[in-house]
Amino acid sequence: MYENRKYRYIAAFCLLGVCTSIFYILNIGIGSVEIALRDIVQTFAGQESSETVERILWDIRLPRATAVLILGGALALAGYLLQTFFRNPIAGPFVLGISSGAKMVVALVMIYLMGRSVKVTSADMVLAAFIGALLSMGFVLLIARKINSMSMLVVSGVMIGYICSAITELVVTFADDADIVNLHNWSRGSFSGMTWENVKVVAVVVFLTVAIVFLISKPLSAYQLGDVYATNMGVNLRALRVGIVIFSSILSACIVAFAGPISFVGIAVPHLVKRLLGEAEPIRMIPACFLGGSVFCLFSDLLAKTMLAPTELSISTVTAIFGAPVVLWIMVKRAKRDFD
Amino acid sequence: MRKEYDSGKASTCADRYESMEQYYFTAKRMCVGYENRPLIKDMEIILAKGEILCLIGPNGAGKSTVLKSIAGQLSLIGGTIYLGKEILSEMKRNELAKKMSVVFTQKLRAEMKSCRDVVATGRYPYTGWFGVLSGKDQQIVDEVMELTHIADIGGQDFNKISDGQKQRVMLARAICQEPEIIVLDEPTSYLDIRYKLEFLSVLQEMRERKGLTVIMSLHELELAKIVSDKILCLQGEHIERYGTPEEIFESDFIERLYGMKENRFLKNEKFLAYVRQIGRLT
Repeated sequence: MYENRKYRYIAAFCLLGVCTSIFYILNIGIGSVEIALRDIVQTFAGQESSETVERILWDIRLPRATAVLILGGALALAGYLLQTFFRNPIAGPFVLGISSGAKMVVALVMIYLMGRSVKVTSADMVLAAFIGALLSMGFVLLIARKINSMSMLVVSGVMIGYICSAITELVVTFADDADIVNLHNWSRGSFSGMTWENVKVVAVVVFLTVAIVFLISKPLSAYQLGDVYATNMGVNLRALRVGIVIFSSILSACIVAFAGPISFVGIAVPHLVKRLLGEAEPIRMIPACFLGGSVFCLFSDLLAKTMLAPTELSISTVTAIFGAPVVLWIMVKRAKRDFD
Repeated sequence: MRKEYDSGKASTCADRYESMEQYYFTAKRMCVGYENRPLIKDMEIILAKGEILCLIGPNGAGKSTVLKSIAGQLSLIGGTIYLGKEILSEMKRNELAKKMSVVFTQKLRAEMKSCRDVVATGRYPYTGWFGVLSGKDQQIVDEVMELTHIADIGGQDFNKISDGQKQRVMLARAICQEPEIIVLDEPTSYLDIRYKLEFLSVLQEMRERKGLTVIMSLHELELAKIVSDKILCLQGEHIERYGTPEEIFESDFIERLYGMKENRFLKNEKFLAYVRQIGRLT
């Protein structure tokens, strides 16, 4: 079981890499408007092609697919960090109410700024979402200190999520009609309307955070063993905890700011990736989760775009269909193990 | 290196401070407890390098609290601990990790880890930024697994082995950390008699080979009697007694320590004889 690990890692990473590339290319090739393969190749080869095709590819599909790739990875990694932090396999930004908290603050800020006819920039959105994510994370932490049960933590996270969503709904109801259209699409979760400017911000924030998270993979692996042993191995628990909270909040905030809350990716992907690698060491889990999240979201976005084209499904609809069964599977398996 | 001390009452320890250099572990006026509520006060412990100290005392006497405080898991309410000449609370985390390892009763969480993986986590303080084991680290892991007789279960999933086996893996992990001092909380509880003795003999072997200093709590008094150089008895808010096994296991002290003298359940002659037999030094 534990032999030939090296080959397994190589195979797993190759598989993830290949899948990411395939789905990335498919996402560029397939969309609500049909474009012939020849035109696509021509456009990217720099040859003459129609203005429309060029605009669709360069300004719509390419930034969108790139954003999905980066944000999907960020989402899975945020889930992995939260699972590590709470030592709870079904923790994730969505179930813990962190996404909803971020969404609430973003909605408030958007409505406030739009009401004053101020243009909302990507950076504003990320910052607002980050503050919201930290706020609900703070609540979850307060509750986690009081109760030490896996299911209760998730229940309280879901409650926080409901409260935040209710407030968001309330604010949206009182907002101007024009803003609502914008808000409504976004608050359901969608990757549509990504611009290159968004992608730039996303890329910088996410890649920086992922790099730092990767650098702390050693203390993370000690943290997994439990507080007592991590302390004995020389880990500064308090600093590490603060770090995990901040990094997972930044990642969750990015996703919410640009794509709205997306469910289940954060839980399902780390679990599937763990199975694929056959181990849970952060040094390999961090990059693998990122790739896994990219694959999962690229795949989901492809379905969201095409299943009922030209109508677009919300991305959460698709991720829930494929992600929720995985969560159920985890819980059933755990229950079984506890009985043994 | 090792020498005998006279009667180990706490108050008499003070005169020994001048010659502190030759001791490896020193606790001065140590006061332990939770959240500023002192549980045991004014503890004085002195150990030479390579000595084995056993903490004994009734349930709830605070053995685990003392061990946690020594290992830096709980901050001291008062007093100072020295490792050699260094003050323990002022040592760098990573330096301390290379000097002290622990086997505690808290479960070690090992998700999808083999026993060998768990043992290898002991190399953590010695590895580089990303925690990758070097060839030398791998070799040490293998040697320690031989020494602790767990090489045969190295490939098994840590979560699927018995509690007794887990305990031996935990010891291997702690030794892998190449500590100068090891702190163990009731390490032999889950082991059968053969493995209890094997476990303790590994500690003794490490003491002989590497000069490992050992601080542990034991429920098995008869084992404490034969493995320890020093015994510390805890009861109430001060050290009840501290000394060599010869000094502790005399007359009816054990019966008094565990409050068994007036216990009506112990009227049974066989039980009483058993208790007396443990209490005496053979």
